[in-house]
This record gives sequence, structure tokens and C-alpha cells, in this order.
Amino acid sequence: MAEETLVLFKNIRNPKYDKSLSAYKKSGGFKSLKKVFGMKPDEVVQEVKESGIRGRGGAGFPTGLKWSFMAKGTGKPSYLVANADESEPGTCKDRELMLKDPHMFLEGLMIGCYAIGCHHGYVYVRGEYFPSIKSLNEAVDELYADGLLGLDPMGSGFNLDITIHTGAGAYICGEESALLDSLEGKRGHPRVKPPFPAVSGFNGCPTSVNNVETLACMPFILGDNGVEDFKNFGPQNNSGTHLVSLSGHVNRPGVYELRMDVNMKDIIYEFGGGIRNGKKLKGVIPGGSSSPVMTADEVDVLYNFDDLAKKGTMMGSSAMMVFDEDTDVVKLLHRITRFYAHESCGQCTPCREGTHWSRQIIRDFLNGNGSEEKLLRLNRVGGNMMGTTLCALGDAAAMPIQSFVKKFPEEFRKYYATV
Amino acid sequence: MPLFKGFNMPVFDIDGELVEYEPGEKILSAALRCGKIIPHYCYHPGMSIVATCRMCLVDVVDMGNGRPAPKLQTACSMDATEGMKVETLNPKVEEGRKLVNEFLLVNHPLDCPICDQSGECTLQDYAFEYGSGKSEMDYSKRVSGWRDIGSFVALERNRCIQCSRCDRFTREITGTNEFGMFNRGHELTVDTYADRPMTNKFQGNMADICPVGAITEKEFRFKRRAWKLKKNRSICTGCSTGCNVTIEHDRNEIFRLKPHENQSVNKWWLCDEGRLTYRIMNERKTRIHQPLGRVEGKLEGISWEEAYSAIAERVGDLSALPEEVLALTDTHASNEELFLLQKLLKDIFSSDNIFCPLPTWEQSESEFFINTLITTDNTPNRAGALALKIKGDAKSTKLKKAIENELKVVFVLGNPFEAEVEVQEKIKRAQLVVHLGTFHNSWSEIADVVLSGQYYSEKEGTFTNKDQRVQATEIAVKALRRTRPEWQILMDLSASLGHGNSYSSSADVFNAMTEQVKSFADLSYAEIRLFGKELNHKTKDSGMKVVKAHT
Ligand SMILES: Cc1cc2nc3c(=O)[nH]c(=O)nc-3n(C[C@H](O)[C@H](O)[C@H](O)COP(=O)(O)O)c2cc1C
Ligand code: SF4
Ligand code: SF4
Ligand code: SF4
Ligand code: FES
Repeated sequence: MAEETLVLFKNIRNPKYDKSLSAYKKSGGFKSLKKVFGMKPDEVVQEVKESGIRGRGGAGFPTGLKWSFMAKGTGKPSYLVANADESEPGTCKDRELMLKDPHMFLEGLMIGCYAIGCHHGYVYVRGEYFPSIKSLNEAVDELYADGLLGLDPMGSGFNLDITIHTGAGAYICGEESALLDSLEGKRGHPRVKPPFPAVSGFNGCPTSVNNVETLACMPFILGDNGVEDFKNFGPQNNSGTHLVSLSGHVNRPGVYELRMDVNMKDIIYEFGGGIRNGKKLKGVIPGGSSSPVMTADEVDVLYNFDDLAKKGTMMGSSAMMVFDEDTDVVKLLHRITRFYAHESCGQCTPCREGTHWSRQIIRDFLNGNGSEEKLLRLNRVGGNMMGTTLCALGDAAAMPIQSFVKKFPEEFRKYYATV
Repeated sequence: MPLFKGFNMPVFDIDGELVEYEPGEKILSAALRCGKIIPHYCYHPGMSIVATCRMCLVDVVDMGNGRPAPKLQTACSMDATEGMKVETLNPKVEEGRKLVNEFLLVNHPLDCPICDQSGECTLQDYAFEYGSGKSEMDYSKRVSGWRDIGSFVALERNRCIQCSRCDRFTREITGTNEFGMFNRGHELTVDTYADRPMTNKFQGNMADICPVGAITEKEFRFKRRAWKLKKNRSICTGCSTGCNVTIEHDRNEIFRLKPHENQSVNKWWLCDEGRLTYRIMNERKTRIHQPLGRVEGKLEGISWEEAYSAIAERVGDLSALPEEVLALTDTHASNEELFLLQKLLKDIFSSDNIFCPLPTWEQSESEFFINTLITTDNTPNRAGALALKIKGDAKSTKLKKAIENELKVVFVLGNPFEAEVEVQEKIKRAQLVVHLGTFHNSWSEIADVVLSGQYYSEKEGTFTNKDQRVQATEIAVKALRRTRPEWQILMDLSASLGHGNSYSSSADVFNAMTEQVKSFADLSYAEIRLFGKELNHKTKDSGMKVVKAHT
């Protein structure tokens, strides 16, 4: 059987590991932070750039580059905010890290804070994640008690505080600028960009928002020979291991830590143990519910950013949702569309109206009132949200609609009205 | 400031025309300034940019670096840059607008026939321009319901297009935060917090900035179709700020006042109290409809000639000394009227016994500009009276000294010293009291002759506001048949008393004033007509006391 590559999960996969600070330290924890405190912040950013790590939050933006964009000399404080709002349907990887090895993520956050000169880091956690919130708070308490947070940790002279902030359960607050609004105590509405958070973010100060998993990679990258090793975990431009949330009709769903040169087919049939009940594969939503759907004969592809992009889809938050031959694709699309209609913040016209309207049309199909005209309309309404909105939620809602209509048109025909 | 604005300003290209912009300015703002029309809803020059309606899409074919933008851009949020090329009319843009407009209409009630916004609704305009005329929406529309949100405005939420202008208004302009957005997604809507009615004194502006008929003025509801209204520029005389307004009227009836943008005075805003002053313009019951003369103790209608000759005869008989003559005026009189009254006294009686009430007033400081609009100073032409050196003080002490003399001839313009019973008692005993005014008041009750004047919506005139900016009003509606503008009455009166002036219009009087009164020197009527102009020679003490806002 294929093996995981354990970097982020090296402790989690150890049955004896108890996630306490002492256990984390025993496993080599906080060595990287110690090393980082001996480096210049710019050197840290440079190492991160060289590792080639791309953000694990969905967009795959190079993290080192993001940090190098942070406005300098503004006279304002800088902030690092960890995005732990994990709410893209299918995604459940950050939860594993926060719940089972919070110190690895927090060390990564601290390294990031040092790299961008932030003295107060925030973790914005999804409101429904009660156990993760508890786990993080306990871990932060341990760090303060140990002196690793607060004044002058490890004699570095670098004072650092971390606050765990809980959201109220809105998908849109995972979008970085809405997250910052929410963190400031306002309604979570995505902001106009530019200015990007690196120039004007939390309270108008330079801010970097990074995904939990992205930050959790930092202790490895800044460890001994980390940069080189990290690059070797995947093809060029797709470095590192990543956490794949595998769900749906597979025999062994779960979160797997994989290299970036693993074939999607193998993820389904080797790691996932194949389709349950011996059924045939119908399709896969490869990277969270917003990514364009793939049919069964498209899944022979390396599961990483670039190879999926070449196939016209995306890896997003690496959440694979597998569905078998018995699945009603129209119902599936209805469920996805309902999610986006419910989670749209509603401020921009195409997303507010389009998510709801397209849901109404799909429901009309499910009621047996479909028609060729309505299918074209669905595709048009979906397409009209694409690239026309303020934040990427409009795209996220459009992509499944357009791809489902394109790849499974005959499934919609089943719901045409019979006259 | 450079001699002409474009001297040092960078330029970019809109539809083949070079447009100048200030560094950091957005495409839409620069375009609007140059008279280009780009459809938009959420953008308002006085508030923050949210770029959410997505209507202002333009095609940036060259971002200034030789490369086109990857997709249509919202003009309200994109910085103009040197060498940028923007197309606002190509098929791609039209297609983009069309689809945004379609989305805006899927849940819109389109009840234009009963909507007060109809005729001045940009949604209606753009739907007409970009809409297909046929809806593809087969399902029932969203219903959010009507809400009673305050004394001044009505909220019909079904018509709301969620542009958030109203929300930003109470956050950014009034700072009162009593109004906001609720719910999410297609249920996003607007309301007041905790069901409380709105309290800010500027609610009417929310109706102005709401691009559709969701927020409308209660006062105007169902009264007139907007396209029937004729509009004239004027100045609100509710207080000494002198907000620029348009008086909107139909068939000689005035229906509303709307703010007229003037960045040096009221920006885009107007207070609710000022808006309500339209009511008095339509008032007929207490109006003085024609000249009146006292016959056997009772006021009776007389002709203008009878009035003038009666006054001339009495004045001749009385041969009053300068100190036996008195003129009182309020500060609702225009600069020209004050000037002519003062001149009449000087020319005929060699007297400078002219007084007006000048109460002191306090202006509280505020971090919100709009709060400086309403002043407690309801003397709209105080600064004009001061510039003409008309006498007066907060406690009327100077006046009380002047009325110690045996008075023979008294002229009263408007309704000055209305609450000063003592003054009125004294003046009652004068040999001849002439009242010029628009409304009956305690002065017309004691006057021997009453001359019927006109309200400022019916005549021309200039007013000097608290910042000593001279601004002009226009004739909006036709005056009552047997009334005359006060400047003309004063001129005629002067002529019948043997000292003719031949001014043919209020503007003519203004020009004479600029020659004869130092404070008004170097102004021309043409120059003040659009946005007004501050006096070149200002009065030092305007009676204003700035007080710190109590927090
Ligand atoms: C609608 C929407 C929802 C998002 N939700 C999340 C989320 O739950 N978690 C997350 O890490 N990033 C989310 N993102 C991406 C963030 O905006 C941002 O790109 C990311 O946190 C950056 O971190 P990274 O560079 O480490 O990927 C979301 C983006 C959008 C448009
Ligand atoms: S795209 Fe949707 S979620 Fe994003 S800002 Fe617009 S309305 Fe809100
Ligand atoms: S808001 Fe405009 S489009 Fe809507 S009903 Fe009123 S006039 Fe018609
Ligand atoms: S009520 Fe008017 S101003 Fe307010 S959001 Fe709706 S359309 Fe915009
Ligand atoms: S005016 Fe630009 S998006 Fe609304």
C-alpha cells in the first residue's frame, strides 16, 4: 500500500504523542524557532521564498512573496493573522492540525510573526470548531507559562503575543479581507482590493493572512536542510507535502499527508481504498466544492496545483470529494449551490442575485420542470457570476455550475418536463 | 494653485478623449468630473468606495503599461494612471452592464407606476437602456417588506438594490450609526437597529442618495411625478449656512427643496428642517396679498399709487429730523433690500437710524462636516447686514436708546424684533409706521401702511452666509398678483419721496452696491451666480462663538 509522507503529521501519526508542549519539544519542536531567532527577518522570508511553498488556503499564492510585499517603514504595526476559518465544503485538514498538534502550527505562526515583524499574531478560528478552539487556547496558555510567548521568548528580545479569536460561523469570513473586517468587530464583508492587506489590513495596518497548514509547514522549512527537502516533495513549483481531505464514496475517507507528485487515481484507489460497495467512480470534485468537477476518466493526473490547472480545474484547499455512479449529480449541484447562496455576503449584485437564482433554477429541475432553455439559462446565470464580483465567492459559485452543466448534461435531461 | 488646473495634471484616455486626473483619483471620479457618463449605483463621491453594485464596468484596454486588464474593471475602484486607455462604450462593456442590470432586476418589483422615484431613478434609466425588456426570471420574487424607519423618510425594502449608500451615510456622514445592513446573500437588506426610529436630522439626504425608490421623503410621497417638476437654483434661508438648493415646483406650487452640490457650502447635503421650509413658500392664509392702508383704525386694501402717495403726503407733513426717523429690518431681507432701505433713509432723511437684530450664536465643533450645516443662527443674511454696517447687537440696547427719541417715521422690513414688546409699544406711538413684508405679523397690526412684498422663492436677491459668501436666489414661482419685490417697493418709495433711483433689476442694485459699499467691492453678479463668492473685505466679528462639542 502506498505510504503517506509525514512532515506535518509526523507527530499526529505517532499513537503515543499527546500534543502537550513537552511532547512537542521532545519531538524536536521549537528548534526551528530558536534557529529563526538567530536570523534576520529578511533571511527568513528569503528561505520561505526558496522553499517554493504556495498557500494552502485555496489560491496557492507563494507565501514568501506574500510576506515580501508587506509594507515597510509605515510607522504602523504589522500583523500576521492565521486563517483557521476552514469552511470550504470538503475541507477538514486545518482542524487535524489544531486539534492534534497545535504547537506545530503555533510555532509556524511564531516564525511567520518574526519574519514580518509582527508582535501580535491572531488566529481566526471557525466558530463551530469548539474542540479546536479549546485545543488552541490550551496550547497558547502552555506557551505563555513556558515563556515562549510574551516578553523576550528564548532571550530573543522579540516580544510576541498570540490571540485566539473565534468567528461566528460564516464561510465568507474565510475570505481574507472579510476575515479582517470580522476580526475588527464589523460585519464580515470582503473589501475592495487594492489596497491589499499587505498594505492596509487589520485596523488599516500591513497584514498577512495565511492558512493554518501553510504556517504549520514553517518549522520544517526552517529546520535543518528544510528548504531542499521541502522542494523535493513535489514537482517544480509544487513543493512540499500537503494535507488532502478525502471524502465521499471511498472506503477510507480521511485526511492524508501526501507528496505533490501522487496521482489522483492512487489517492482514490490506494489511500481511499477504492469506491465503497464496489461501485464505479462517476466523478470527483477535486479541490473543495468550488473547484470545477472532473469525470471518472479525467482522474489520471498528478494531484498538485499546476497539473490540475492544466486540466481546467484547481486544487484549491485539496479537498477531494469522490462520488459514485449512483450519485444524482443534479442534487449534488443543488446542494453546492444552496451552500453558496446561503453563504454569499450579498453585497455585490451578480453573486447576491446569481447564487440564489441559479439555485432556484436547479430546484426547478429537481421538481421535474427542467428544459433545454432552462439549462442554457442556468449556464448563463452561472457564467455571469464568473469574474464579475468583488471577491472570489462569485467564481466559487460559478465554477461548479458551469462544469456540472458541461460535463453531465444528460443528467439534467432526466429532469426535463415531459409534455 | 496653478493658473489653470490642467497645467500639471497627468492625463489618461477615455474613449479617445484625454481626461486629467489627480494622483490617486479613480477612473469613475475623473470621468464624471469631465462630464462622461458611466452608469453607477454604489459609488458616491462623498463616501467610501465599496465597488459592490458592479454597474460601473469599463474596459481598460491599456493599463498604462501597454497591457490590457484581464477582465472588465469597476471604474469606481480602479486608480487612473498615466497613459491608461479606458473604453466605456464597446460591446464588451455593454454586455457587462446588461448582465449586472439583469441581476438587479430579477428580484426588483418594478412597480414604477406607484414609485416616487420614477422619473429620477437610475435603475429605471439603465434598465431602459440596457435591459432586454423581457424577464427570464420564472420564480416568485424576494419580498422584504415595508418598514417605518423615521419621521422624515419611508423605506420600501423591496425596491432596495443593496448599494449600501444609506448604510455608509449614517456611518460616515452623520456618524449616528442608526441604520445598517442586515442578513446575508439574497436576503441582504437594510433597516434601523433594534427597530428604533432614526434620529439624525439629515434623513432626507438618504432619500437623495438612494438611487432607487427604496428610501423616499415622506413629505413628498405620492404628491407629484418627478418629471413634472421644474427646478430653480436657490439658497435655503432656514439658517445662516445658506445651503444651495433647487426649488422644485409644478403649476406654481412648490413640492420640495433638494440640495444642490456646492463643495464650498453644503457639499451634497441639506438638513431636514431646511427641506421643510418649502411649506411656508406655499403659505397663503397669512400672506399679505396687496397693499393695505389704515382707514378709521382698520386695514383696508388700497392701490400701490394710493399707498405711495399717502406715505409721501404724511412724510411731507411731518418733516422729521434724522433722529426722528427709524428703520428696522430682519435678516431675511436680501443684500439689495438692506442696501436700498439704508439708502432711502440716508437720501431722504439724512439718517442712519437703521437697525436689525443680531443675536449671538454658538456653533458647536464636530468631526462630522454635516453637523456644521445646521446652525442655531436663523438669520440668513446676518453677514450681509454686518457688511452694510447696519446697526444691531445681541441685546438690542442700541435700538432701545434710539427709540428714546420722539419717533415720527418708522419703516419696518419683514419681522424684526418680533419678541420685543417694549420696542413695539414705543413704535406704535410713532406718527407713521410703514411695514414691508410677506406675512401678517405684529408689525402689520400696528402699521399705518402695509406694502405687500414677495417671498424669496418669488424674486431675485443675494444673501451673505455665515462664511460671508454671497450667493444668489432665482425666481422659482410666479408671485401673487398684487405683490412686488421689496427692492422694487423701496425704489418706488424713494422715488415718490423725491429721490429717484433707476435700477431695473435686483442684479442692477447689486452692481450699484459693489460700487458704493466697500465690503462688496470687486464682486460681480455673474460671478456669484453659480456657486457664490466670499466677500473680499470681510467683517471681523460675525457674532459666532465656536463651542467644543460635548462628548
Ligand atoms: C469565499 C472564500 C472563502 C475562503 N475561505 C478560506 C478558509 O476557510 N480558509 C483559508 O485558509 N482560506 C480561505 N480563503 C482564502 C483566503 O482568502 C486567503 O487567500 C488565504 O487565507 C491565504 O492564505 P494562504 O496564502 O496561506 O493560502 C477563502 C477565500 C474565499 C474567496
Ligand atoms: S462575491 Fe459574493 S461573497 Fe464576495 S463580496 Fe460579492 S456578494 Fe459578497
Ligand atoms: S425604484 Fe426605480 S425601477 Fe424600481 S420601481 Fe421605483 S422607479 Fe421603478
Ligand atoms: S435603501 Fe437605497 S441607498 Fe440603501 S442600500 Fe437600498 S438602494 Fe441603496
Ligand atoms: S459604482 Fe462601481 S461597483 Fe458600484
